[in-house]
Amino acid sequence: MATVKTIMIEESVFADNNTAADAVRKMLTGKKTTMLNVMSSPGSGKTTLLTALVNKLKDEMKIRVMDVDIESTLDAQRVADSTGVEALQIHNGGLCHIDADMVTRALAQFAPEGSGVLEDTDLLILENIGNLVCPAEFDTGAHRNIMILSVPEGDDKPLKYPLMFSVSDLVLINKIDTLDYFDFDMDAARERILKLNPAATVLPVSAKTGEGLDAVCDWVREVVKDGGRR
Amino acid sequence: MATNYTDPVQIIELKESILEDNNKDAQDLRDQLKAQKSCLLNLMSGPGSGKTTTLLALGKYFKDRISWGVMEADIDSDVDARTILAAGIPSVQLHTGGMCHLDADMTRQGLNALFDSTDQHLDLVVLENIGNLVCPAEFDTGAAIKMTILSVPEGDDKPAKYPLMYEECDIMVVNKIDALPVFDFDKEKAERFARLRNPDIKIFYISARTGEGVEALAEELITRVQAWNA
Repeated sequence: MATVKTIMIEESVFADNNTAADAVRKMLTGKKTTMLNVMSSPGSGKTTLLTALVNKLKDEMKIRVMDVDIESTLDAQRVADSTGVEALQIHNGGLCHIDADMVTRALAQFAPEGSGVLEDTDLLILENIGNLVCPAEFDTGAHRNIMILSVPEGDDKPLKYPLMFSVSDLVLINKIDTLDYFDFDMDAARERILKLNPAATVLPVSAKTGEGLDAVCDWVREVVKDGGRR
Repeated sequence: MATNYTDPVQIIELKESILEDNNKDAQDLRDQLKAQKSCLLNLMSGPGSGKTTTLLALGKYFKDRISWGVMEADIDSDVDARTILAAGIPSVQLHTGGMCHLDADMTRQGLNALFDSTDQHLDLVVLENIGNLVCPAEFDTGAAIKMTILSVPEGDDKPAKYPLMYEECDIMVVNKIDALPVFDFDKEKAERFARLRNPDIKIFYISARTGEGVEALAEELITRVQAWNA
């Protein structure tokens, strides 16, 4: 069974997060490792979705996952147990987001230079803190940002948390198996997202039933194939 | 629910606080509200857990018992304040300019605007905080009561992952219990995680949509408001 390591990360000392993020991205690109930053509200189904996605893709690419939480190792343990891939739990000491310097320091422990870990990783997934506000403000060094909006949260979220939708390349609308129970207008949600971010890809999915996941896998394959390049 | 989008909504652009000592400022505000016989409730939760819908459901029971008003804090949009105003409840929309939480000084700016907007004395003012389970928990707003909503679709593990929120709150409301049949939500587990950090937290189960359980919560709040204002 894959093991879970927990790393404690404190606030960044770097003033210029963007410089640090570019350095992370360049380093990863050099190792042919594609990094995806996954963001959402608490409880939108990040871990369930990632677990399903990893299980579909793990035979064709080498995947590693970094789970960020304030406390608990629930997520990393779940990912490790249900996929068998290596999962790293990052504890960020109560902070509401993760920045590029924290990623750098996590990687220094998780995949130090010379360990060959990154060379052996095609896809590195960062599961950010559950928060629709702060994570959107910090470039982590990922090649692409993915965000998840779940049906029970409501179709008005793009109006209220616009930055998150503006910085995300892929917006997944999760828990579509519960559409009958909630007043969620898919067309309105899509329209609000695309108004903020016309280049975004919007895909409806259910991590629970597996509906729509093939399209997400195709999107990930395309990004990984290009090594994260645009 | 029909919302009258022609109602004028007062939008307050909050300025970031320059006060260093938020705790002292919050205590000053609390003392001032106590003297004015107004009770401030800080309502916090993740995005989409049903804060606004819960307030509307409570309003039915508050009517004729206590006078109240609402400050809706959001990064953008005025949909929540419109919804509350359409129900005949005094409300102002606070914009935080991208900030992920409210502190005491920002709350005071909102209170001044709300009090100016109505001739009524308000026994209760609800601050509907930014949808965020992390940052708002760290800032004392001067509230007499702190309440958090956990909705069933978010999952029973949230009190384990965002412990400070549950440690800080007097009341935890579990909302959307009408959706229990479609989600794997273990009530016992949610209670255990919440009480681990806060043995005294009061827990209520409601469906803001169907109205189930709302009366008991309303009675609890009315009792607390009357005790504060006595």
